[in-house]
Amino acid sequence: MGLRWFHFALWGGLIVGMLLLPQVVSNGTLRTMIFANYLAIFAISWDVLSGRTGYVSFGHPFLIGIGAYTTAILTKRFDVPVEISIPVAVLFTMIAGLLVLLPALRIRGSYFALVTLAFMELLYQLVQVIRPDLTGGTRGMSGIQTLTRGAANGYYLSTTLMLTIAVSMWLLMKTRLGTALSAIGMNEESVRGSGLSTTRLKAFAFLTSAMIAGLGGAFYVHYLGSLAPRALFDINFLFTIIVAALLGGTSTIIGPMIGAFFMTFLLEYLRPVLPGAERYFVYGAIALLLYMYQPKGLVELVRRGFKSLNKGRTA
Amino acid sequence: MLQILIQGLLLSGLYALIAMGFTLIFSIGRVLNLAYGAYLMVGGYMYFWVSQTLGMPKLLGVAVAAVLGVLMGFLKYRLIVKTLKGDHVAVEISTLILAVVIQAGIVLVFGDSSKILLPIVPGVINVAGASVTYNILIATLISWAILLGLFAFVRLTHTGRAMQAVSMDAKGAAISGIDPDRINLITWGISGALGAIGGVFFASYTQLSPSMWVAPLIISVAVVIVGGIGSILGTLVVAHIIGFLEVIVVATLAPELRGVFTMLLIIGVLVTRPQGLFGREEL
Repeated sequence: MGLRWFHFALWGGLIVGMLLLPQVVSNGTLRTMIFANYLAIFAISWDVLSGRTGYVSFGHPFLIGIGAYTTAILTKRFDVPVEISIPVAVLFTMIAGLLVLLPALRIRGSYFALVTLAFMELLYQLVQVIRPDLTGGTRGMSGIQTLTRGAANGYYLSTTLMLTIAVSMWLLMKTRLGTALSAIGMNEESVRGSGLSTTRLKAFAFLTSAMIAGLGGAFYVHYLGSLAPRALFDINFLFTIIVAALLGGTSTIIGPMIGAFFMTFLLEYLRPVLPGAERYFVYGAIALLLYMYQPKGLVELVRRGFKSLNKGRTA
Repeated sequence: MLQILIQGLLLSGLYALIAMGFTLIFSIGRVLNLAYGAYLMVGGYMYFWVSQTLGMPKLLGVAVAAVLGVLMGFLKYRLIVKTLKGDHVAVEISTLILAVVIQAGIVLVFGDSSKILLPIVPGVINVAGASVTYNILIATLISWAILLGLFAFVRLTHTGRAMQAVSMDAKGAAISGIDPDRINLITWGISGALGAIGGVFFASYTQLSPSMWVAPLIISVAVVIVGGIGSILGTLVVAHIIGFLEVIVVATLAPELRGVFTMLLIIGVLVTRPQGLFGREEL
């Protein structure tokens, strides 16, 4: 499987480092880190589907929204305990993932991206109209049960969730299954030619991605305690997820994580200078330039940097 | 009934104008320009700035918006589309990022709050019991004029025929002595101008806000998907299908559902007939 001891050492170091962090930094930084953690989960989920198989999804907020809305409605309107509502939310998101899979069996590339965008817009309009007594209509919902109190606890929960997902995805991608998923992104016909069922592989990718999105969405809404359709089914939210994955580097696990943290902290540091939505101007410009110059993201830049360093040493 | 017919015709005319520039790019370059909605937004804001903030004549406002649209089209083709040559998904992602950057730029310059655009031509006319503003009537007439003009341009002029040739087969066109690069550049320019002018009317139909680019983009996407590879006449037909669909839904079901059926139409067509209702057609 290509595992080396230093892989585990690096992961171990990261895990210990992240769990020790609340001892060092302030609560404000921790709150920012919580957002970064959830963004990392969403970016990993996007990457499992779009980064690997090449089926670019412009509708990821659709999946996250299904997870978030399901658990929010269950806990708030029907008083279902969280232990039941979150698994149900994940299940619903996976069913929604299968729904998105249907068009992917026939179309790909630009058309697939557009149909996912249509899914997102469809859900955005539907939640406001269908049963507003359940979904809260245009205003959304507030007063949803929160799982943790205080910044440190929220941080531990989100970090544990994020690292668990990251490590399990990393292990999964090391298997032959992961290799096959990446192969679909390179050449779907030759994967089929090698005797593998691309339909099954794609179904697996969609389900895994939906599961992570559902988990992330459900825990996120139980952290925030509120949700609003305009904030959730928004192209800006989609942009944040995609850019986090692209910026860090697609088809890696550490890439979307780095991208998410980079993005969240950059936006946070820009806040004193540009308080409102103008921050996205600087952010988007950086993302666009980096994407045009190095579509493989920060991870690739670092890797090249190391390579040229090594070369310098041997020469 | 008559009211639905009139409203439908007017809205569809506007939609046809909005979607035309998007279809044009898709038909020539096979690229989906997701920053197309941003052209409309910039066009609308430019018109607002020239005619309402500076108090210049309204026609000048439209002209400035159109020129800026052409410029944006040129720049986008040169800097993004040509650099990422051939990679459609990369172009889509980068134009999506660009759209968000332009949105943030608009917030930076004009602020976050939405602005009401004064009607380009004030006044209301009563047609068979339905009150129609001159503004949207003019928008529809101009949109028809522009579409007819574009149709004539593509069919009758040398450049237009070269555009047709590139849309059919870029390599074949190059062998026949057409520079596909130049044709692409011209097409991006025309598309930008169409988008900016469409934006002026769209903004006067709704209002100016930094997030106004999403709705027209979705409409353009719907037209392209439902119609198939964009022919000018196909665009016109599909714009009417979508326009009437929305008007009928608003009149008979509920105003909030107006976009739902458009989305269902997109998903349905993509799943059952990915090549679109009219299939592959020349421009």
